[in-house]
Amino acid sequence: MPAPLPKPLRIDAEVADNACEGGANHRLRLGVPGWPGFEPGQFVMLSPGAIGAAPRTDPLLPRPMAVYRASGDEVEILYKRSGRGTALLAEARPGERVRLVGPLGRPFAPPLPGERALLVGGGTGVASLYELARRLASGARHASGARSEPQASGAHRAGEVSILLGARTASDLMGRADFVAFGARVRVATEDGSAGERGLVTDLLEAELARGGPARVYACGPTPMMRRCADLAAARGAAACASLENHMACGFGVCLGCAVPVRSGGFALVCRDGPVFATGDVVWEGLP
Amino acid sequence: MSGAAAPAAVDTRVDLAGIALRNPVLTASGTFGYGLELAPFLDLRRIGGLVTKSLTLLPRSGNPPPRIAEAPSGMLNAISLENVGVEAFVAEKLPALPDGVTVIASVFETEVERYAEVCKRLTGVARIAGLEINASCPHVKSGGIEFGQDPKLLGSLVRAARRATTLPLLVKLSPNVTHVEEMARVCEGEGADGLTLINSVQALEVDVERRRPVLSNVLGGLSGPAIRPIALRMVWQTSRAVRIPICGVGGIATAEDAVKFLLCGATAVQVGTQNYLDPAVAGAIADGITAYAARHAFPRVRDLIGALELPAP
Repeated sequence: MPAPLPKPLRIDAEVADNACEGGANHRLRLGVPGWPGFEPGQFVMLSPGAIGAAPRTDPLLPRPMAVYRASGDEVEILYKRSGRGTALLAEARPGERVRLVGPLGRPFAPPLPGERALLVGGGTGVASLYELARRLASGARHASGARSEPQASGAHRAGEVSILLGARTASDLMGRADFVAFGARVRVATEDGSAGERGLVTDLLEAELARGGPARVYACGPTPMMRRCADLAAARGAAACASLENHMACGFGVCLGCAVPVRSGGFALVCRDGPVFATGDVVWEGLP
Repeated sequence: MSGAAAPAAVDTRVDLAGIALRNPVLTASGTFGYGLELAPFLDLRRIGGLVTKSLTLLPRSGNPPPRIAEAPSGMLNAISLENVGVEAFVAEKLPALPDGVTVIASVFETEVERYAEVCKRLTGVARIAGLEINASCPHVKSGGIEFGQDPKLLGSLVRAARRATTLPLLVKLSPNVTHVEEMARVCEGEGADGLTLINSVQALEVDVERRRPVLSNVLGGLSGPAIRPIALRMVWQTSRAVRIPICGVGGIATAEDAVKFLLCGATAVQVGTQNYLDPAVAGAIADGITAYAARHAFPRVRDLIGALELPAP
């Protein structure tokens, strides 16, 4: 039943815009002629500075980045400047080129009819959830016969999708305004209380799950956060999946570097078998 | 692919140990899966051929994470030769490859007899043009490095493989030895048709905050541009020590890198780690070699082999 995934491409994409959005948060827009579209949860590999006769070799490896959203041939990435790779990416100016390989990986599966979707994003993990949220919110409105533009009543119907965003502090929050813009129900938690409620985003999830009824949890963020989401969902009998992050050299299943242990035995690859996994399939205690 | 350098005028074919290649660019074992993984990005018929992930008698699972670590202009890996096994490769992976793709199967095992058995099972399989014995994997405790580092063990391995197959037989050598030429001569003496060098360089990286090795396996193999000058030196030394052809590998990222290996005596090259960064790069390197030959008025790419001009003594 799932539609075939878009065929990935390898292209030297042109930077249209690459702006700091406060703190370490950045928003990159890339022109990608021939972009085949993507499914929620898919990612791309980006190599800044690697193009030309004498390609930069240090840092060597591309960086996996969730596709935040895309429109036509323009692809948007939200990222946090945190290491040498993302620092290099942050230096890419409009008109420069960045090698892109993607879209890659297996996407989120939609909720079953009657299930509430609970999207839990921690830090940069939010970037993996935007497209899922947008499609679910749009689908909820369509299903109920409402017009697609956000409106007061639309927000209510889109409430079948709850978006829970967490960060250490307000300046680390990503994408909040974008989620609000399509009328989704958004709740925020920060560890220092500088935005939303003080506490962890998993506290918000716990409260949502306590309302009862069929629910499906979609988690992306730091491993301890996702593991906590898995435990909370399991305790309530809710379905849950998580989009895992890992170091990888290729993104398309040949370096075998991004292995994670799975309950069925052996290892799965985050790039090829994920990045989305049912939380019950992952041996969380085996993650580094 | 612009054709600006009139590459049609250049004969790109080379013969590697009895394997006819349309051009000298292969992809290195362990960096190209079983071929199909890269097919969305690269027409596999643009390259000379591919070397498969190393195959063992039975399917093999790899090391726990972390398996890779970035290093200056390189990376460490300790995957531990995870693969589907020789039977599944022949039954499922090989038939899925498009026609016209030259396939060299990489063979790894933990004992001489098992190496020979894998060689036997691959011999006579249509589509397999040759075998490459991985005698040099630096991160498997019970095999790999011991074979490649001990001339007697290496000799017994090559002898057994030679008896087990009629296919062209390449032996991939370890750089983790004092005199690679000695190992090369052993292989030549036991009937190897060619040599591939180098495999990754044994290495260690440390997470200083946690005071632990980065890799779960502690040691890994360093690959990428960081090792290219080492590989080039070993190819050059070995090409002067043996008569059998050499396939050069180690940190090749551009056509110019590949040409350096040809000049230093390699008959063909393998692109490895760079496939991860750019899954279309092997095709671009093949085109770039042709353009180089045209630019320097070499009518045949094979005329570049060993064309290094040394300073007068």
